[in-house]
Amino acid sequence: MTPILQVSHMTKRFEGLVAVDDVSFELAEGEILGLIGPNGAGKTTTVSLISGTVEPSAGKILFQGAPIAHLPAFRRSRLGIGRTFQLMKPFPGLNVLDNVAVGALFGTGGGQRRLGRAREDAANWLDFVGLDHRALQRADELNGPDRKRLELAKALAMKPRLLLLDEVMAGLNHAEIEEVVTIIRKVRGRGIAIVLIEHVMKAIQSLSDRLLVLHHGQKIAEGPPDEVLSDAQVVEAYLGRRRT
Amino acid sequence: MTRRLLWFAPLVALAALATVPWLASPALIQFGITTLLLATLAQAWNIIGGFAGYASFGNSVFYGLGGYGTAIAMVQLHLPFGVGLALGAALAVVFALLLGLPVLRLRGHYFAIATLALAEAMTGIVANLDIAGRNIGLVLPLLKGDALFYELSLGLLALVTLTVFWISRSRFGFGLIAIREDEDAAAVMGVNTTLYKAAAFTLAGFFSALAGGIHTYWITFLDPISAFDITLNVMMIIMAIFGGAGSIFGPLIGALLLASISEVLSTEVTNLASLFFGLVIVVAVIFMPRGLADVMRRFKRLGWRYFSQNVRENRL
Repeated sequence: MTPILQVSHMTKRFEGLVAVDDVSFELAEGEILGLIGPNGAGKTTTVSLISGTVEPSAGKILFQGAPIAHLPAFRRSRLGIGRTFQLMKPFPGLNVLDNVAVGALFGTGGGQRRLGRAREDAANWLDFVGLDHRALQRADELNGPDRKRLELAKALAMKPRLLLLDEVMAGLNHAEIEEVVTIIRKVRGRGIAIVLIEHVMKAIQSLSDRLLVLHHGQKIAEGPPDEVLSDAQVVEAYLGRRRT
Repeated sequence: MTRRLLWFAPLVALAALATVPWLASPALIQFGITTLLLATLAQAWNIIGGFAGYASFGNSVFYGLGGYGTAIAMVQLHLPFGVGLALGAALAVVFALLLGLPVLRLRGHYFAIATLALAEAMTGIVANLDIAGRNIGLVLPLLKGDALFYELSLGLLALVTLTVFWISRSRFGFGLIAIREDEDAAAVMGVNTTLYKAAAFTLAGFFSALAGGIHTYWITFLDPISAFDITLNVMMIIMAIFGGAGSIFGPLIGALLLASISEVLSTEVTNLASLFFGLVIVVAVIFMPRGLADVMRRFKRLGWRYFSQNVRENRL
């Protein structure tokens, strides 16, 4: 079976700074890939390159076997790529339900045509992430954790085949992290492949099938979570070199 | 019950407005034509400015193109008024697509400035075209029939408002609102932002041009300065925002109220009229920056606190 996502030699240079440097990896259908690395390692840029908000300087990206590296973002989302933003991007003036309805109206395959249907879908997704009680509130009235849930619901309403989650657990407490972990498991249960950027190690370790570690834009390790996290180079990237 | 009433009220208002030419004085009918056309322009601006969030200063260009299309067709080519209107609208649509695509790539203030420049450029271009009468302008055949112009303007206003009503509950409209609220997020969620913005700009251009065509035939005269007058564009924006940009009836109510206030002031206090008019605008912006539509929605919940809250949130 062809992998849902194939990234090869992907590079992004920002005026002298190489944010992503010759990175290659693959993702199978229904797989969860954890993307970790210190701040500034190029994780978010990697997600942006796949979702299309940033254009690569070099390299190939294949989604379901078709090249997408130079497609505009809206075309990629119609093919089935959904993402969340680390710095959340709700539509502040719309209520929570309609925020999610935008995802249902567009998204994969162009989404629903009718507003009524889209709102029904949206209500279901709000239920799914536990935000149904906030449906009619304006998005900018939500607190941090609820905004994270909204971000997730908006992406899910697009019915993506590949979901890119950029720090959806940041700033959440233990109970809330548990909730999100459960949601992500449920999402994977529907056969959706996931790329997960996260700093909450316990969560990413338990969720990911594989981990990929970025450091200064380069891939320094890839493999099963336990192996990767005991890798000397990875430990060094996170904690610094041990003095001898 | 209240829902049915909400559907009913606009139809009753429309029917009542349609009877004005049989009941009112000539002066009031003329005021009516001006106001209906201003409301049409404010409503058309609402599509690109209120829904898509792109503050266009190029809508007076559409208005001017509509006027010139009509004038050129009637004066130079001796074609009927209807053909002239169509020509004006076609010019505006072509203009919106050709210039909208590059200009709509700019965001925020840059878009506003670029469209402002378009208006200036058009004045210069038209003033040098023989077919448009250079800077002397064109004089159209006189048609006495204010009632007809009134009904035409009312019909156009009804049409643009119906369009806005459809937009407000369509997939297209949700795409525009998403662009207004966060364009990057909209694109990532699958909104074809370029196409949607161009479509909104074109729709705004289409209706503005029709208003320009009707106005030009009514006053039977057109020159480059008045056709592409930027103050008219400023009026559209003030009226739309005063009433509530992004709402369905806000721009209409804003246009009606402001045109009435302006009319009363200029007959009652004459030379200080523009000062008072300016004061009204400033007070409105301070106390209700999101327009009357927002006051209607939230005053019930917040009461007088609504105004003090706005003052606090928007202090300079």
